[in-house]
Amino acid sequence: MGAAEIVRTIVQEFPLALYGSMLVGVICAFLGVYIVARRVVFLGAVMTQVSVMGIALTFLPFFPLPHTVGSLVVTLATVVIISRLLTGKKIPRDAVLGVVFVTSIAARILIMQKSPKVEVAEIENLLRGDILFVTPELFILMIVAFVVAMGAHLLLFKEFTYVSFDPETARTQGYNAVWWDTAFYLLAGVVISFATHMVGDIYVFGFLVVPPVAAMLLARKVTHIFIVSVLIGLLSAPVGLFLAFLFDLPSSPAIVGVASVVLGIAWIVNVARRR
Amino acid sequence: MATIIEFQDAVLGYGSKAILRGITFSIDTGDYFGLVGPNGAGKTTILRTILGTLRPLSGTVTAQGENGLPLRFGYVPQRDTIDYALPYTVEEVVMMGRYRQRGLFRRPGKEDREAVGRCLDHVAIADLAGLAFKELSGGQKQRVLIARALASEPDVLVLDEPTNGMDLSSRLAILELVHRLHREDGLTVLLVSHLLEDVANYVSRLAIVERDFFKVGKVDEILTGQNLSTMYELPVDVRTIDGRKVILSGGGNGGR
Repeated sequence: MGAAEIVRTIVQEFPLALYGSMLVGVICAFLGVYIVARRVVFLGAVMTQVSVMGIALTFLPFFPLPHTVGSLVVTLATVVIISRLLTGKKIPRDAVLGVVFVTSIAARILIMQKSPKVEVAEIENLLRGDILFVTPELFILMIVAFVVAMGAHLLLFKEFTYVSFDPETARTQGYNAVWWDTAFYLLAGVVISFATHMVGDIYVFGFLVVPPVAAMLLARKVTHIFIVSVLIGLLSAPVGLFLAFLFDLPSSPAIVGVASVVLGIAWIVNVARRR
Repeated sequence: MATIIEFQDAVLGYGSKAILRGITFSIDTGDYFGLVGPNGAGKTTILRTILGTLRPLSGTVTAQGENGLPLRFGYVPQRDTIDYALPYTVEEVVMMGRYRQRGLFRRPGKEDREAVGRCLDHVAIADLAGLAFKELSGGQKQRVLIARALASEPDVLVLDEPTNGMDLSSRLAILELVHRLHREDGLTVLLVSHLLEDVANYVSRLAIVERDFFKVGKVDEILTGQNLSTMYELPVDVRTIDGRKVILSGGGNGGR
């Protein structure tokens, strides 16, 4: 297949894959800046696994919810609990996240083995998400999550950045840091839940981490970091999809791979700039 | 001068655990008030109660302006409580002091930018406005945080361990700056530190705190060898050399 034909195929036959991956790329790259800055990168991995576990739960007879709803309910419930535990001092942050991470994976494996409905491989495909087979319903849900999360963050940008930068002083100014943190994690939870169901955990976690880190290496102002991160998230998706078709590669790893190459270039640029 | 902060027989602590009991003192408008004590003595507990982020377990604590409205605090936190992951510029950090005035959803405007410029100028760091906050020296960072506190147009400037981890010249420069803000602007200042000399040579009133020991009054009344010996549980002497108070441990024979 030539380049023009690949582009035509992607645009005409897989439009939801193209726009959906760009949508997820943008919102995850944006939220990821906060996640990396707050040093809770592991939280991204944890939330994707919790989301996958939530989908797995819906295969059990006593949890008869649609996959998306199951994922959302479990992710948000976990977010509320985690956000409380993360601000406590009794258990180290990493330990809290580690426990949730490993428990989610173990629970998912157990559920898959005992699921009465379908074959394990079939469930695994559903759990992992597949960019090429994004359904219109899921795409619309993702647009809603995108608008809500992005809208809230753009309208309340100064509050989210202030509480993230200096929670103690923000508290003296009347900002309830715990409330703002919980609001942030809930918004992130909604996005991660839908996004993981749509494009898979590797893609979501990759875009929560790789574009923000690349942006931090390239940009010198906070607003520029957000903009560069979003641009990497936006552009990696079509380029990665194109390469996946060209070289017959799996889509998600190809897209994350493109973002990782950008990160490598950013690192080289940063080293060269320092000399 | 009107009383703006008042503790009446307050018991302070976390959850059900009392850390300080029977705390009674007040701060008036225009005061230059020092709160000193060893690490872990309960200074932060008193500070959080004043700032309204911790409620007293019993007794009463009021923090109210002369107009009857809640006090506006310009808080300067310890520098290590700040997250340095993102490269906020000095101007952006100081602008945060204006956020409360703007309210939700509203972006800072021209008036806020002018206020930020004035505050930077006031603490003599206007030339640093475009630099990344995280790359500044300790003394410069402290000036930025003071400028941010001023940008919030506070009734009371509250500084928590402002000279921690600084070399001598930076320490003195920061203390002189705070002194100037008090003297020239008539700002009420609350200075919290475990470095007794830093506080004692600048403030007009002093509270010393150590678990079951709390005394408050004018510096000369409070800063006595007897009080400090009780607080630190070792012989301490207070001397005045060239008008500056010097604290000597070991009854004046040992090192400081």
